[in-house]
Amino acid sequence: MTVLRELWVGHPARLTRLLRVGLLGLAVIALVVWTVFPFFWILLTSLKQPLDVIAAPPKILFEPTLDNYAGIFIGRQRGAYASARPDFPLFFLNSIIISGGAVLLSFLAGIPASFALARYRFQFKEQLAFLFMSFRFAPFIAFLIPLYILFQRTGLYNTYHGLILAYQIITLPFTIWMLRSFFMEIPTEVEEAAKIDGCSWWGVLTKVILPLSLPGMAVTLILGFMFSWNAFNYPLMLAGRQTFPVTVGAIQFISYEQVLWGQMAAASLVAVVPQLILSLFVQKYIVRGLTMGAIR
Amino acid sequence: MPSQAGRLRAGHRTAMLPYLLMLPALLLLVGMLYPFCLGVYYSLTSYFLQYPHLFRFIGLGNYVKLPGDPLFAYSVQFTLVYTAVAVLIQVSLGVGVALLLHARIVGRGVLRAMMLMPLMMPPVITALMWKVMMASTKAGILNYLLGLVGLGPVNWLGSVNGAIVSVLIIDTWGNLPFVSLILLGGLQSLPYEPYEAAFVDGAGSVEVFRYITLPLLKPFIILATTFRVMDSLRIFDVIYATTVGGPADATMNLHMRAFFYAFQWYQMGMGMAYAMVLLALVFVASYVLMGYWRRAAEQTEL
Amino acid sequence: MRTRLRCFVWVGLVSMVALVCLASIGEALAGESPGLAYFRQAKINWRQFEGQKLTIGLNKHQYTESLLPLIGEFEALTGIKVEYLILPENEYGAKLTADLSQQRGEFTVIMAGAMRNWGYVPPGWMVPLDDFLKNPKLTDPSWYKLEDFFPGLIAANRWNGKFAGGTGEGPLWSIPVMSESYILPYRKDIFDQYKIKVPTTYEEMAEAARQVKQKAGIDGLVARGTANFPTIATGYLSGVKSYTDGKWAELDEKMNAQFTDPRVIKFSQIWTDMLRESGPANWANMTWYDGMETFAAGQAGMYPDCDFFAATYEDPKKSKVAGKVGYALLPAGPGGSTYSGLFTWALGMSKATKNKEAAWLFIQWATSPRTLLNATVEYKNYNPTRVSVMNDSRTQKVMGGWGNGTYLKTVQENLKTARIAWVPNPERPRLGDTWARALHEMYFKRLTPEQAMQRANDEVNKIFTEIGLRK
Repeated sequence: MTVLRELWVGHPARLTRLLRVGLLGLAVIALVVWTVFPFFWILLTSLKQPLDVIAAPPKILFEPTLDNYAGIFIGRQRGAYASARPDFPLFFLNSIIISGGAVLLSFLAGIPASFALARYRFQFKEQLAFLFMSFRFAPFIAFLIPLYILFQRTGLYNTYHGLILAYQIITLPFTIWMLRSFFMEIPTEVEEAAKIDGCSWWGVLTKVILPLSLPGMAVTLILGFMFSWNAFNYPLMLAGRQTFPVTVGAIQFISYEQVLWGQMAAASLVAVVPQLILSLFVQKYIVRGLTMGAIR
Repeated sequence: MPSQAGRLRAGHRTAMLPYLLMLPALLLLVGMLYPFCLGVYYSLTSYFLQYPHLFRFIGLGNYVKLPGDPLFAYSVQFTLVYTAVAVLIQVSLGVGVALLLHARIVGRGVLRAMMLMPLMMPPVITALMWKVMMASTKAGILNYLLGLVGLGPVNWLGSVNGAIVSVLIIDTWGNLPFVSLILLGGLQSLPYEPYEAAFVDGAGSVEVFRYITLPLLKPFIILATTFRVMDSLRIFDVIYATTVGGPADATMNLHMRAFFYAFQWYQMGMGMAYAMVLLALVFVASYVLMGYWRRAAEQTEL
Repeated sequence: MRTRLRCFVWVGLVSMVALVCLASIGEALAGESPGLAYFRQAKINWRQFEGQKLTIGLNKHQYTESLLPLIGEFEALTGIKVEYLILPENEYGAKLTADLSQQRGEFTVIMAGAMRNWGYVPPGWMVPLDDFLKNPKLTDPSWYKLEDFFPGLIAANRWNGKFAGGTGEGPLWSIPVMSESYILPYRKDIFDQYKIKVPTTYEEMAEAARQVKQKAGIDGLVARGTANFPTIATGYLSGVKSYTDGKWAELDEKMNAQFTDPRVIKFSQIWTDMLRESGPANWANMTWYDGMETFAAGQAGMYPDCDFFAATYEDPKKSKVAGKVGYALLPAGPGGSTYSGLFTWALGMSKATKNKEAAWLFIQWATSPRTLLNATVEYKNYNPTRVSVMNDSRTQKVMGGWGNGTYLKTVQENLKTARIAWVPNPERPRLGDTWARALHEMYFKRLTPEQAMQRANDEVNKIFTEIGLRK
C-alpha cells in the first residue's frame, strides 16, 4: 500500500489514469462475461447432439446440428430422440395473445385510475394506491389454489379471457404504479393552460397527459408485457393444453427417458427472442422509465 | 358565468369523477380480492384434496400446527436470512455496476442493452440454464472452467451450502440488471451543482462518492432494496427448477413449503396457512420500506 | 422511433404467420394411418361413438412418446377426436389431481397405475374397468386377450380399496402399458479389467463401488438422491426389502410406521455410507435421469435402478457405454434372497368422463396386442406388458442384444419375484418424501441413522393420525 502511495505522490496523474482505465476495463470484461456466458452456453447446448450434451469434460468444439430446433418446430427429428410435439408455435402464439391481452386490459383500466390517483384528491386515495401496489408482492401460491377452484367452477379454466383476467394480478398493480409516477411528472402548468382553453378532464387526459407521457407508457407496456410473458406458475395450473404459453411449454422437454437439454435450450432461446428484440429497440427508454417511476 | 346551482352541480360531478375513473380498476381489484379472501378462508379449514370428507372449518387450527412443524422455524429463518444476504449483495453490486454503466466509456449503449438480457428471461428458464451449467461435477462447464484456473470442483447443487450459494448466484444473475438499471437512472438524474462545487473544492473521487453521490442516490437505493426484498422473500422459480427445496431441506423457504403442502401433498389448508404467513411477512416489510422511501424521497427533494 | 416500431410490428406479424405455417406442416407430417384391418377383426363396432371428443392426460414418458405417433390410427378407426395434454411427472401429478378433485372431466383417459390408484380410488375418482371388459358391445375378449398380460402386472392394478392390505384382488382400475423392475446394471468392461467381483450382497456392493472409484477413477455407483419419494422407490426400497427378507412393510395393518426396525436402519446406513464414500458428489440433487445420464456418459460403475434404462445405455447415439454394460440381479440381503420392486404405468379412466364408453374404446385400442407391439418395436416402449409382445421375435432380438443377453436373462429371472414394494396407502408421496428426508439427514450426518428414522417414524404416524386412518 505504501509503495502505491509513493508512486501516487510521484506521478499522480498518469498512474491514476492508468489504474482507472485498467480497473474499468477489467470490470467491464467481468460484467460482460458474467452476463453473456450463460446465454452463450445455452446457445452452444442447443446446437449439440445428444452425446455431446452429456460429454464430460464439456465440449466447446463439436459438430453442430439444427436438429433440436427442427424438433421443437416440426416435431420430428432425425437422430436419437423420439418426436417432441409440434405444439411450440401454438404456445408461442398463446404467449403473445395472453401477454398482449393482459397488458391491454391493464392499460384500459390503468390509465384512468392512474390519472385519478395522480391529479385528484379524494378520500382513501393513498390507501387504494397502496392496496393496488401490495398485490404485486403477493406470493402466487396464495392466489393459485382459490383461483384454480374458482376458474373450474365458472368455466374460465383454459380460456384466453380467463388467463388475461388472472394475469391482472401481475400487470395491473405495476401498470397503475408506473403510470401514476409518469403522470405526476408532467408539470401542472401545461394542464392549467389547457383548462383555461376550456378542456374538460377528458381533454386534459387525451390532449396533454397521454401525449406527454408516451415514452413512459411505452416502457410500462413493454415491461408489463415482459412480466406477463415470464409468468409460469399461473398458466401451469390455470391453462390447459390449448392455452399453454411458452414458459410452460419449455418444461415439456423434461422427458422420462432423458432430459432433452438440446431441445430445451433451443426452446428457451426461442421463447426469449421477442423480448430480446423489443429490448434492443427500447433500451434507452427502459432505463429512463424505470427511474421515472422511482422518483415518486 | 355559471349559476350557483350549476357550479354546485359541476362541483358534485367533479367530486365523483375520481371514483368513476377508478371504477374499472376497482372492479378488477375486487376480482383479485375475491380469490384472496377465498384463500384466507381455506387457510382456516382442514382442506385435503384427496379426502373431501375431512373438510371443515377449524379456525386457527392450521396456524397452531405451524410451530410444531419441524421445518417451520427453519423456513422462516431461511427466508429472512436469504433475503437479507441476497439484497445486501445485489444492491452493493448494483451500485458498482450502475457506476460502471454511467462512466463515460466506449460501447456504453451496447453494455446497457446487454444488461437487459437477463431481465428478459423467465426465471424458470434462467434456473434451468444455470442448472445445465452447474449440474454434474464432471460434465458441468462451471467446474470445468474452475478446473482450468486450478480451483477444485464445487458441489453446486448437491451439498447443503453449495445449494444455497447456487440459488444466490442464479438469483443475482437474473436480478442484478434490474437493480443496476434503477440505480443508473438515479445517477442520470442527479443534479450537476454539487459535483461542480466539489470539483472546485478539490475533493477526491472517493469523497465525492461518499458524501455526494451516495446520499443523493438514497431514494433509489431504497427503492431497489424494496423491490428486491419483496422478490427475495417470495423467491420460488429458481429454487423449484434447481434444488426443489433440498438438499436436506436446505433451500426450503416459506414459499416452497407452501407449494409442497399444496401441490405435492394436496393439503390445501396447511399450504394456504404457510402462504398467509409469507404474505404477512411481505406486507409488513413493504409497509416499512415504503415509509423509508417516502421519507428519503422528500429529504432529497428531487 | 415510429418507423422502428412499425418495422418491428411487421417483423412480428410475418414471423407469427411463419410459425403457424410451420405448425401446420408439422401436423401434416405427424399423422400416419397403418392398416386398420387388424382392428376390424374385433367383433365390435369401433365407430359407435363417432364424432365424440376425448382429452387424455399423459405424463411425459417414453410410453407417451410411443403412443403419440399412433393416435392418428385411433382417430381414423373410430372417428373420435383425441386431444392430449403432456406434462413432466411432477406437474402432471399436480394438474391431474387438481382436475380429478374438481371432477370437471378435463382428463378422461389418464395415466395411473398401481401406486397412483391408491390416491385416486378412495375419493372415488376412477372408474373400474371390469364392466367394460365384460360388455360384448364394447370388448371382444377373444381378440383383446386380457390373459395375454403378465399376471403380476394385472394383479398390481387390481385393488379392493383396503389400506395396508395387498393389491391383487378387487376391481381392475387400470391396464398396464409398461412395466419396470429393478436390477443392477454395471460396467462389465471395468469390472473385467480390474477383476472386480459382481456383488451378490450389499456389503460386496459397497466394496465393488470402492474399487471402481479407486481403480477406474469414476464414481463407484450412482443412485437417485433428491429428497422425495422417487428416491426411495427403486433401488433403495428393493434393498430394504431384501435386507428384511421381504417380510417388512413400511406400515402395519393399523397404519403405524415401521421405520425404526433395526434392519432397516442398518441397511439405510450401508446405503448412505456407500453413496457418501463412492457415489457422486451431487447425489442429493440427482433424479432418475441425472443418474441415467451419468451412467450413460460412462461416469459411474453401477446404477441400481430401472431395468429398461438399458434401452438408453445400449443406444450408441445416446450413450458412451453401449455394449459395455452387464446386467445382474440386485444383491441379496443377509437372508440370501434378493427382492425387486415393481412399477407400472397404466391407463385408467376418470369418473368425471362424460363419454365413458368412448374412453374405454381408446383404452382398449391403446392396450390391444398390436398397438402395444407397435409401441415397443417401432417406438421403443419398454418393458412390454403383454407376453406376446415380450416373446415377439423383434422384441427378443433387440432386448436380447442388450448386455450380450444378460439383460433378458436377468429381467426374466427378476420378474418371477418382483412385486409392488409399497403398502397400499393414500399418502405415499408424503410418506416417501419424509423417508427420503431421513436419508438426507443420514447422508449429511446431521442426525444418526437411529435419530433420522425415529423422526421419520413420528412424522409419518402424525400424518396418518391427521387424516383419520390411524387411531
